[in-house]
Amino acid sequence: MRRMKKSAPKRRSNGKSNKKRPASGKSGFRSALWRICWRLGLVGIVLLAGWTVYLDAVVTSRFEGRRWEVPSRVYARPLELYDGAAVTAAGLSNELSQLGYGKVRSATDRGSYSRAGRRFEIHTRGFRFPDGQEPDRRIRFEIAGDRVTGFRVTSGPQASVVRLDPEQIGGIYPAHKEDRVLIQLDDMPEHFEAALLATEDRDFYDHWGVAPLSIMRALWVNLQAGRVVQGGSTLTQQLVKNLYLTRDQTLLRKGNEALMSLLLELHYDKPEILETYLNEVYLGQAGTRSIHGFGLASQFYFGEPFNDLDLHEVALLVAIIKGPSYYDPRRHPERVLKRRNLIINMLADNGQVSLKEANKARQKPLDVVSKPSYSNARYPAYLDLVRRHLAREYRDEDLQSEGLRIFTTLDPGIQYTTETAVERTLTQLERGSKADFKLEAATVVTSRDSGEVLALVGGRDPKFAGFNRAVDARRPIGSLIKPFIYLTALSHPDRYTLITPIKDEPFSLVFDDGRRWEPQNYDRESHGLVPLHQALAKSYNLATVRVGLDVGVDAVIDNLQKLGVGEPVQSYPSMLLGSVNLSPVDVASIYQGLATSGFNTPLRTIREVTDADGESLTRYGLAVDQVVDPAAVHLVQYAMQEVMREGTGRSAYRYLPEELGLAGKTGTTNDGRDSWFAGFSGDLVTVAWVGRDDNGPTALTGATGALPVWSNVMSQIPQYGFSPIVPADVQYHWVNSEEQALTNENCSEARFVPFITGSEPTDTVNCSGDFTQRLRGWFEGIF
Amino acid sequence: MMIKRYLPVLVLGVSLLAGCATGPGGPVYVPSGQAPADAPPPPETDTNREPERASEQSAPEQEATRPKPHHQAESESLSPAAASLVNKADALLANGDTRAAISQLERAQRISPRAGKVYFKLAEAYYADNRLGAAEQFTLKGLSLAGSSTDLQRTGWSLLADIRRAGGNVAGAQKAEARAQAL
Repeated sequence: MRRMKKSAPKRRSNGKSNKKRPASGKSGFRSALWRICWRLGLVGIVLLAGWTVYLDAVVTSRFEGRRWEVPSRVYARPLELYDGAAVTAAGLSNELSQLGYGKVRSATDRGSYSRAGRRFEIHTRGFRFPDGQEPDRRIRFEIAGDRVTGFRVTSGPQASVVRLDPEQIGGIYPAHKEDRVLIQLDDMPEHFEAALLATEDRDFYDHWGVAPLSIMRALWVNLQAGRVVQGGSTLTQQLVKNLYLTRDQTLLRKGNEALMSLLLELHYDKPEILETYLNEVYLGQAGTRSIHGFGLASQFYFGEPFNDLDLHEVALLVAIIKGPSYYDPRRHPERVLKRRNLIINMLADNGQVSLKEANKARQKPLDVVSKPSYSNARYPAYLDLVRRHLAREYRDEDLQSEGLRIFTTLDPGIQYTTETAVERTLTQLERGSKADFKLEAATVVTSRDSGEVLALVGGRDPKFAGFNRAVDARRPIGSLIKPFIYLTALSHPDRYTLITPIKDEPFSLVFDDGRRWEPQNYDRESHGLVPLHQALAKSYNLATVRVGLDVGVDAVIDNLQKLGVGEPVQSYPSMLLGSVNLSPVDVASIYQGLATSGFNTPLRTIREVTDADGESLTRYGLAVDQVVDPAAVHLVQYAMQEVMREGTGRSAYRYLPEELGLAGKTGTTNDGRDSWFAGFSGDLVTVAWVGRDDNGPTALTGATGALPVWSNVMSQIPQYGFSPIVPADVQYHWVNSEEQALTNENCSEARFVPFITGSEPTDTVNCSGDFTQRLRGWFEGIF
Repeated sequence: MMIKRYLPVLVLGVSLLAGCATGPGGPVYVPSGQAPADAPPPPETDTNREPERASEQSAPEQEATRPKPHHQAESESLSPAAASLVNKADALLANGDTRAAISQLERAQRISPRAGKVYFKLAEAYYADNRLGAAEQFTLKGLSLAGSSTDLQRTGWSLLADIRRAGGNVAGAQKAEARAQAL
């Protein structure tokens, strides 16, 4: 009630004033309006001032605090050229093409090469390696018999060994997938600044961030040209848009853009703004990865460093700014060619390049490399292994943003060879078969003495970034275990030599719980007494299990672990037939020890990691560790060579030249579910696996599935054959294995076999099989 | 009596054979065998068929002409390219820059991976860096490739003796020294 009484007079008074208003006239209304406007204006100014202060804080804090998230770059091994280097002419041409070297008549420019038959001339680019700068040089040489000959440096510092710049094989990107290579103003190639400013912001050095005149001029030029040639936004506005704002075309955003541009110009000088622009501008897309900045764009489109670009390339990059998708030189080459030439003309009209230069540049093709110079999709399996190795010491966020440089051991030529060999062999294996399943494969190639992983194929589709069989497919290794059993045995020269007769006859084991185990040979036949080397060469199961049980399953496991098997292995007798699950990479790791006289040489995919400035962060150097007796390993190497000459691996020589010394071992698991081959030459250790993803049966053995893959790979790589050095405590003797006796070299059964000194036979038998030594001993006894 | 007289000759003959155990030759460089297209197809197998329990081996092939397993007594020498990098490493080592020296030696190792000398050089660099475990292992690796070269063996055993002594392994050092002196 009270409230009602109180409010009533107020209403009345209002009524009175309302009645008076018409009488006060226009001047009263104007003054009221003025007052409202004034107040609104005041409020607006206060708000604008507040907003400006806010924007100023945004601009300065984000510009100054801006830390580019630069992805890490992953490089392949650099190709080293010197007299005697093992290189094929095709492989070298391919590598140069991947590196973006242009094939020319005379290699006068950096990043170019000429080839006349077997003769090459290369002008290398120079590169900052972790161990120092490799300067650019001109080199000449020939390739004869897959080797470099007549190598000489014709320009630049003299050297016997020259490294090409390494191919970038991938990157480790932040979540937003922005990729960039940071550049500085000094890196700008000739004509670049002129072309950029003439096209994008003629008054860059004169305006305050916004240039109304430029907008008018752009409008006029565009009207004259009949299409959009120039934009009206200044570089500062474009930078502000990229750094702080969305792409919405609203008035409010435009207002913010102008205001922030003014503020940016107020706080920072032109060079700072220009350098930031050069690194920020969006210039293309590679799948989910966005290409930012001119440093990366020049790699992406030309495969060349930014500062090496010529006028026609400079003009092309500037042409792309306007619409990286619309002017994508790979998808719309004619469209972008027109715009590129328009920019060249503009430079000529302005007198910034001579007419002659302009004409020459206009005549040039786009010169864009057909594929992006690198893509993460090219070697997904290898990069997967690299990332796993990196994860031991680096955090994801550092890898994604610190611009680290990761120098790997990948050999792109061997990788390509391996990929194609896998796919081709699997297709051939499946040809004519009515199989309703698809074969899969994995292959690892490593450098024998350094343990560097040179190539890794995780499946028959090498571009598929999914299941990495080379690392994750842990399968029973079957007979690949056998060399380790014989290694364990031969480490006891008092009990075993290569000619020790082994019983290859059926037997059964009865366990405590009553279960029986009756191993069988693959052909379900027994072979009576066989010399040890033959039992391995022919992969006899019965003989091997007998030896394994005699030396002890645990002793075999101990050797496996010394040579690199990291996980526990179940101590069952069945492990003697390979019921040990390992991945192809694990197998390569333990075979490394067999290939290198008992040295455990950890497999490496990374040589070194540096920060963005090239300072070394981590070196993954060569490491060796002698873990088993080199003399026993030498004996196993002998038998593994016999595998290739007379045993289960002999079909390899259908593909490979006879003179190439090789050693290896086949592996097959039940019903052909896994077909393995692991072997080595003088330079390489290679492991191949073939099988099905569903672990189903196949009709393959190690010799008919994995060995063809292995042989195909090895046959295309120039290399040294395997010829191990005889350890000091090993001696070779001519022996008759069957008779367990020394014999004459000329006897038909004679075999030149290594023995650990003191373990050689003492008896001597002649060619007809008579025991001369025994007779002699008998005679000596008499006299 | 006659047999007794010939016995030393027989023994000498056998040891000479062992001494000449160079097999069918040292490592042979073999250019890539074939263009991918020339590669023979693998043996045809019907991958749908039940696997035959025949033999893990493919059919026997003529093996009479096949060379026998390789081995060699001679060690390999450094290639001129690797030697130039070793020289560079020596200079770095003289300046106390062991890390850079190791980088250059690893490059040399990739070029001449079977030359014992390169591993001895790596051992020296690790020794200079006071990483005696690695130094010892590289010496052993070098020795495994020294073959019949007395010089290399002497270098290796003497180096090993120094490294072991520096690590306090006196017995090991004496053993290595004895091996060096016995050569």
